[in-house]
Amino acid sequence: MRKQSIYQILFLAATISLSSCEKVIDVKLDSSANQVVIEGNITDQQGPQTIKISQSVPYTDSNVYPAVTGAVVTVTDDAGGSWLFSEAQPGNYSLASFRGVPGRTYTLHVNANNVTYTAMSTMPKSVALDSLSVDVISFGGNENKQVQVHFKDPGNQINQYLYFMKINGVQAKSIFVENDRFTNGNDISSVLFYFSENDDEDLKSGDQVEVEMQSIDKSIFTYWFTLSQQTQNGPGGGVTPGNPPSNINNNALGYFSAHTTERKTLTIE
Amino acid sequence: MIQKTYIFLIFIFCLISPIFAQQRFTVSGTIRDAETGETLIGATVRIQGNSQSPSTSSNAYGFYSLSGNSGEYMVRVTYTGYQTFSQKIVLNSSLKLNIELKTNKAVLDEVVISSRSRKDENVRSPQMGLDKLDMKALDNVPVLFGEKDILKTIQLLPGVKSGGEGNTGFFVRGGAADQNLILLDEATVYNSSHLLSFFSTFNSDAIKDVSLYKGGMPAQYGGRLSSVLDVKMQDGNNKEFGVQGGIGLIASRLKLEGPIVKDKGSFMISARRTYIDVLLKASKDSALNTTTLNFYDINAKANYKFNDRNTVYLSGYFGKDNIGIRDLFANDWGNTTATVRLNHVFNNRLFSNTSFIYNKYNYTIELLDEDNNARVSSLIRDYNFKEDLQYFSNKHIIRFGMQATHHRIAPSDISTSGNSSFNPSSVENRYGLELAAYVSDEWKVSDHFNLLYGVRLSSFSLLGPGTINTYAANGDIESSTTYKKGDFVKTFIYLEPRFSASYSINEENSFKASYNRNTQNIHILTNANTSSPTDQYVMSSNNISPELADQVAAGYFKNSSDNSFEFSAEVYYKWLQNQIDYKDGAELTANANVESELVYGKGRAYGLELYAKKTKGKLTGWISYTLAKTERRFDEINKGNYFPAKQDRTHDLSLVGMYDLSSRWSLSANYIYSTGNAVTFPSGKYNVGGLTTYYYTERNANRMPFTSRLDISATLKGKETKKFSSSWNFGVYNALNRKNPYAIQFRDKENDPTRTEAVQVSLFGIIPSVTWNFKF
Repeated sequence: MRKQSIYQILFLAATISLSSCEKVIDVKLDSSANQVVIEGNITDQQGPQTIKISQSVPYTDSNVYPAVTGAVVTVTDDAGGSWLFSEAQPGNYSLASFRGVPGRTYTLHVNANNVTYTAMSTMPKSVALDSLSVDVISFGGNENKQVQVHFKDPGNQINQYLYFMKINGVQAKSIFVENDRFTNGNDISSVLFYFSENDDEDLKSGDQVEVEMQSIDKSIFTYWFTLSQQTQNGPGGGVTPGNPPSNINNNALGYFSAHTTERKTLTIE
Repeated sequence: MIQKTYIFLIFIFCLISPIFAQQRFTVSGTIRDAETGETLIGATVRIQGNSQSPSTSSNAYGFYSLSGNSGEYMVRVTYTGYQTFSQKIVLNSSLKLNIELKTNKAVLDEVVISSRSRKDENVRSPQMGLDKLDMKALDNVPVLFGEKDILKTIQLLPGVKSGGEGNTGFFVRGGAADQNLILLDEATVYNSSHLLSFFSTFNSDAIKDVSLYKGGMPAQYGGRLSSVLDVKMQDGNNKEFGVQGGIGLIASRLKLEGPIVKDKGSFMISARRTYIDVLLKASKDSALNTTTLNFYDINAKANYKFNDRNTVYLSGYFGKDNIGIRDLFANDWGNTTATVRLNHVFNNRLFSNTSFIYNKYNYTIELLDEDNNARVSSLIRDYNFKEDLQYFSNKHIIRFGMQATHHRIAPSDISTSGNSSFNPSSVENRYGLELAAYVSDEWKVSDHFNLLYGVRLSSFSLLGPGTINTYAANGDIESSTTYKKGDFVKTFIYLEPRFSASYSINEENSFKASYNRNTQNIHILTNANTSSPTDQYVMSSNNISPELADQVAAGYFKNSSDNSFEFSAEVYYKWLQNQIDYKDGAELTANANVESELVYGKGRAYGLELYAKKTKGKLTGWISYTLAKTERRFDEINKGNYFPAKQDRTHDLSLVGMYDLSSRWSLSANYIYSTGNAVTFPSGKYNVGGLTTYYYTERNANRMPFTSRLDISATLKGKETKKFSSSWNFGVYNALNRKNPYAIQFRDKENDPTRTEAVQVSLFGIIPSVTWNFKF
């Protein structure tokens, strides 16, 4: 995974130096009917826990996604618990007094416009995020600063991690996902490679970076890993894109993830 | 089983050979260039007698054999670019006649772009779907950075599609890039690309002959579904020493050749190296001077003729690419091949070639970050034995033989040092044995009707040692068995019929038809469009069935104006079985259970290929056009419906023209047009995790914009002396500076994040180049 991002960088470097160029073009695209999108997250932190239900829109529309209102949303667990979520804002179903427990399997039940959707996710054990640091990489004509996360991977289980990074409060548009297939039981120092479209938006001194590290289950890893591969355009244009495999049934887009979460912040020096 | 079949074939052959041999005498020998002693492949030999005048062409080692009733004959040998050889012989006993042909200086000066032995061979021969690349065209066709390249030039032929702009990957008649069998002096070249596929592993200075079989595959070839690219290296001059070289924009080349023992043996060694990184190192920019980007390759060959019956050839190739960034990342990869061949002439009708071949492809990746250091290495290695026999009789050339290949794949070994976050690990090696026996007959049934038919019996066995898992459809391990060294885990046996026929209406017009079946047991898993240095190889196994292809083709061939115009039209249909794709989110790298990530389906490809060529005169060149469709079907993909394969392109047009302006200047140009690749564009979008995410409905239902490009070049010959000749080549790639699409990406608009936009990435604009070539 990390190897692929390095390939991407190298290939970009090679092609840029060989006078590659970009231009915005008009493409003729089919429009599909709106699809139901469910984004459900249950964390080990005190609520509110939120299940968002919206719709996809045609590619040519603006990025405003209609809320699906009036749905009945419940979450159950394998210990007999059952919780009803209420619609706090249109399409946002939440429950304040709820906190997930690692090791439990949660089931999401959604009934929206007379269609029932279900999904299951098991919350992995929590892994502590120890610290963040800055890794300086000499590349592309300047000293490039990247954020590195440090933690200890538990050796007695298979772990998957998903990271979200905010730079000065704005979410970085990159997917950072990895598992411990090659690193089980070790001290991990993963670099969250981030290259903005504009050089001036790369990380610089004084930037406030917040990293959220999630321990996710296998199906959620596959979901994000598939998405991350599609965004990498290696030699020949990369992987043929498709919809990532969702753990929700009845053709809903999105995912339902029970995960633990850790946050740390860092000011770039 | 195989061994029995082989013995049986020899037995049959022993039975039939006396029948052909009754009361006839044979003339046989080797045909060579008089100046260099290079053997000439495919020269036409005819003996004209009173009642009969049989003809043949010399084989891959220059050997020919003809027989006739006793009497007087005139031997005539013709070969493009050489003076015709004539000599009277009396056949009252079998005789040996080695022939040396003199180059025709007058002919060489006017460009003749046909490497065909007989001028009307394309009409006469029963072989279909064969393109011989002529080295003269190779020298003239303009290419990216002026680095002439056989793999880029064959992409200008009908039925051959480029793997992408400036890319040496290629697709033949709807096949995937890993379905081409690429042979260099009979050794398999697994990865034929340098530098992210912008250059091929073939240094054209060292190449003597290039043949591409797109269909009607002769029975001596096997192991890949869609094509055979048979590349033969030069033997080296056995008369005198020579030096040849070139200095180009990207790389420089140097070749040495000469006799080991005059007229008995020669050697050739040719090397090439890029120097982009030398320029980068000189840069003051620290980012650039810490970047590594180079490749080199060496071709070497030697031969020695013990006597008229026995010749030994040694050839080898070694190539390597290095890319990397200091303290961050390093990647190297390369092929190694070595071939030892023994030619033995049993008698004047039976020619044998025995080959021992070693080939290897390996790569290593090093992550150099102290916290995350790792060294990943992977290789595929073959030991190969081939025995090929050709028996020449009056109306038949019978070819039979066998082949045994032992494969080893070491998928991945990871080592680390110090405090790396990575664990050392290793994925079990896999071993395989491929055996094949074949027999084929090229039969001149009548003056109008020729047949080339045969059969190849092939087997593949996955061998122990190893722990072999069987996977359920969902990827779970169903069962696991441990095998010892030498155990047969799984064996597949296939019979592959091969058949082509030609019917010539007259000397200028013929119809041809062919059918062939091919199997493939070495598969590449790749999620990129073309080959990448870190592609994973897998063998057929208890989970992966051999890939199968059946192809039928038919064509019309016409020559006119004393064979200076050649025209052909071919149609083909191909059925593919057991094609491989992978599941969503498949982790292909260093995965011991990689076979659990795969899905299997089928494919179909069909098309029409038109080819018109002008081979003589001041203006020479060709036009090729392909109309084609290529589809795949997998239960798990696209709701189980057929979808266009990524190499599906409806139209492909190439125009190549070369013009002799004067005795010193020649001009050339090529123009290509092709439909855009089949791609998957989003039809909707949604938001998850704060990111705009795209919704896809059908696989590969959209098209990239079309590609069109004009390249031009001019060659200026320097003053030629007896000792020294040189030339300058000036080229302009993409002379119209068209921004051809390489990839299309979708993203949020920069200045309006509420909208999305499509961005086309183009690689090469207008690129001039200059190369200086010399020879002394």
